[in-house]
Order: sequence, then C-alpha cells, then structure tokens
Amino acid sequence: MNDLKMDMKDAVELIPKIGGRLAFGGITLYRRPMAFALALLAEHSKSGFPRDLTIIAFTAGLETDLLIGAGMVKNIRSCYIGLEAFGLAPHFTSSAAAGEINIIEETEASLAFGLKASISGVGFMPSHAWTGTDLFTLRPDVKKVIDPYSGEELTAFPPITCDVAVIHALEADPQGNAIIGGNLGVDQELAMAAKSVIITTEKISPRLEKADIFGLTVDAVVEAPKGAWPSSCHPLYPLDGKATLKYIETAGKEEHKLLVAEWINYHNLNQLA
Amino acid sequence: MSKRDYTIEDLLSVCIARQVEDGELLAQGLATPLVAAGYLLAWHTHAPNVYFASAIGQSVCREGAPLGLETIEALWLDKALMNVGFAGAATEILPRFKPKEFFRPGQIDKYGNFNNVFIGKNYLRPRLRLPGSGGIPDVTPILDEVYYYVPRHSRVTFVKQIDFLSGIGRQGDKTIAHYLVSDLGQFDFKFGVMRLTHLHPGINLQRVKAKTGFEFEIASDLKETLPPTAEQLDLLYETIDPLGIRKLEFLGGAARRKELKIMLQQERSVSYETA
Repeated sequence: MNDLKMDMKDAVELIPKIGGRLAFGGITLYRRPMAFALALLAEHSKSGFPRDLTIIAFTAGLETDLLIGAGMVKNIRSCYIGLEAFGLAPHFTSSAAAGEINIIEETEASLAFGLKASISGVGFMPSHAWTGTDLFTLRPDVKKVIDPYSGEELTAFPPITCDVAVIHALEADPQGNAIIGGNLGVDQELAMAAKSVIITTEKISPRLEKADIFGLTVDAVVEAPKGAWPSSCHPLYPLDGKATLKYIETAGKEEHKLLVAEWINYHNLNQLA
Repeated sequence: MSKRDYTIEDLLSVCIARQVEDGELLAQGLATPLVAAGYLLAWHTHAPNVYFASAIGQSVCREGAPLGLETIEALWLDKALMNVGFAGAATEILPRFKPKEFFRPGQIDKYGNFNNVFIGKNYLRPRLRLPGSGGIPDVTPILDEVYYYVPRHSRVTFVKQIDFLSGIGRQGDKTIAHYLVSDLGQFDFKFGVMRLTHLHPGINLQRVKAKTGFEFEIASDLKETLPPTAEQLDLLYETIDPLGIRKLEFLGGAARRKELKIMLQQERSVSYETA
C-alpha cells in the first residue's frame, strides 16, 4: 500500500513557489490548517517563497489573514473574509482598503457550484443565484445561459480548481483516507476538485474503516497534533478565543511578529523558521 | 419569575422571535448571534417544531443549546440531526427550502435592496471593505420574503443610494423586502417602500427621521413595540444566552474586544465547571 506520510517541511515544498493556487479546508474559525499556514509563513520569511499566492477559501479567517499580513497573497477567492463574532479580519481589511490585494468576489453558490462543475468535468453549473444583483459587474467572467428546456435565463458558474488543497483532519491513515468531523465546509468537494491534496491530521491510524475523504485524491499525510489551533477542531478542541483576540489586537503593530513567532513555536515549526 | 430591566438587544431578539412561525426552517448566517438568540427564543416559546440551518456547522438541527464563543460549534454540531456541509447547504438546502433568514445589511435603500460587499465609490479602493456577501446574492433572488435587522440605525446604513447591490429587496416591480427591525423601531414594505409600523419604547419619530438617509413612509396606525415579557427575559438571560453574546452586534472596535474578553473568561469558567 502507498504510504503518503510526509514531514511538514516536505509538504510545504509541494506548494508552487510563485503564483500557486492554494485552497484551505475548514470554514472561518473552524478546523483550519493553521499549522500548515504557519509553516508556509515560516518558509516565506526564510526564503521569500511561496509568494503571489491565490488563496481559495469558502470562508476565510485567521489562516488567510496571517498570510495576507505576511505579504504572501496576491489574490483571494472567497465569499466571506472575517473573524465572525470577533470582528473584521485586520490585514485583509487594511489591504483591501489600500488596493493591495485582488479580490475575486465569490458567493456561497458560485464557490459550491464552481467546485461541483470542476468535479463533474463540465464547463459550468446553472443556478438562479446572482440574478438581479451587481455581482456580474465585478465578475465579467461569469456568464448567463438560457435553459434549453424552459427558456429561462440562469447564471452559469464556471469551474473552480486549485493546485493544492490543504485540509486538516481529526484522523487519517497513511493511504490518505481521512475523518473530518461534522463541520464539513466544502472539504469533500475540495479534495476532489484540487490537483493535489495535503491532509494534516491530529493523528495517524494504521487503517480507517470509515472516512469522509478517501485516499485516492490525496498526495500527502502530515501528522500535526493540535494543527488547527487556534481555530477549533470539533469535537477534540474548541476555538481559542483569547488567541484570536490577541491576533486582532497585535495586527499592524510590532508585537505581531512576536505573536507569529509564538504560534510557529506552538506548532513546533521552529526548524522551518 | 424575576423582574428585570430589558436592554435593546433583548428587545431585538424578541422582535426577531415574533417573526418566527412554528414548523418552519430557519437559516442563520455567520456572526449573527442576535438572530440565533431570537430563533432560540421562538423555539423555547411558541415555535417548538422549527428546524435550524446554521452557516456555522452547516447542519440541520431541531434542538437548541446556549450561545457560545469558543464553544459555538456545540450549538450546531453536537445536536445536529444531519450534517449537510456547505456545498449541500448552498446548492440544495437553501434553494430547495428557501428558509426564513434575517440579514444584516451594510447599506440598505428604501426598497430593501442592500449591500454587504464594500462601502465607497470605488471597489478597488473602498472606504470600508466588508467581509463579503456570503450567500445573500444567492438566496435573495429566489426568496418570497426578505427579513432584515439593523442593530445600529444610522445614515451610514440607511442610504439613498447603495454603493453595490448584493442583496435584493425589490426586483422590477416585485417587492420581496418584508420586515426590518432596528434599534429604533420596526418597519414593513407593504407598499413597496420602507414603512415605519412601530416605534420602540422611548424613541420618537424625529430621531428615526434624523438617523435615516431617505424618506420612509409612516403607518397611519403607528404603534409602540411591545416590551419583552418576564418569561422571555428569563429565557434569554438564564437559558439561551447567559454570556450576553447577542450584545456584541451593537459594539465595534475596542468596546467589542473589551466585552469579548469578559465573555471569554466567563465562558471558560462555565465550561470547566461542567466538564
């Protein structure tokens, strides 16, 4: 059997050096691959790579805001970029106001149908979403289509794919089969739509009997206990609200470097930094 | 039952609860604890047979639990009837069931058309970039009734001209905007434009006019909003939201962070007690 186990350091090498399209699993503050995002940040501060990333996140939170703050992100493709009850995502909000980041405006439907189109191998998925809104002015690439049966005009959402999807799991086996818990996000779809998939996982077991993501789409399995911290990994551990607040309070200040160093240390990524 | 004074967040929770009908499916967007408090209040009182579909957790539930910050997923995952994921929610549950949902507009015009993407004249250099429109441009084109809540009624939110249209209140001649509650009063859109139907206790008409950036209609039988009952307040303070998370929707910046700190401290002490 294929053994996909890999060190974090080697997994980071799977991300294209310049202009990679990188998808993060989980949603906003829940089951985000934080250890992986911090490993990327550590690698970037050492070598200057990866850079000019396009981040794809159904809803984006700390993991994406961190990389924006480090100047690693060129494009962001998401329908919500924020920290929910904790407030705005600080680096994203200031970068957007300064025109320093390119936002590919998405919605829940454009992301979900886009992933489905990509998985199904078709050029678009039709939907009533966006009808009558201004979204088309920001996304001239999204076209309309006439339903050949009813004659109704529908929105034709184009396929979405990415070079690498990184998904944090509760448990995985060396073949890449993985359990992700109840807060699914679009991780099952991401795993099928991405060109390659990295699973970071709380623990590796010899052979899973049940899985949410099956190994055939997976390229690497990285053991990363507490790898979603400070986001949650339900039901194993909750979101760390105090760390999230501290992140917001230090954003844009000198102390932020210290906080990032602490988080890198928390995930035992010092050898990368 | 205790005798409590009520706050504006209690009154809005109660107004939201009153709009809920028993047996329906209720959708809740990200970062909307006030809406969750209202839905749970309805479930505890007149609507015990509702189902919940929350963006956090993307499940279908019929059991409530107290609101949390660090433990927010417990509410929508521990008691989930079914996990649908976000792709299932966006492409199946929302278009199939068209659930009732309360939206919080970044900007809204008198027709109920609204904006949650950015504020300013230039998208590339916005005065304020908002988190994004989530699923609002997806569901409002297919809804029959759109519900809104505005915790801080001001001319920043109620504007003559929205900077971007990401949520629909009126499409062509058809008005789907249905109900709006703010911290000043309640409104309907019965005749196509926003119409004040109730003033909250202690609020006068001049104040609402001063804080609204367009002319709205006024119901000929303008009423006063009924205050919460003692039972409703007990439920909110003791069962639904003992930490007071619903209050966060009225606060920004440093004031919000100060409250968050206190709530996080309390939440941890409570969860350790029960653990």
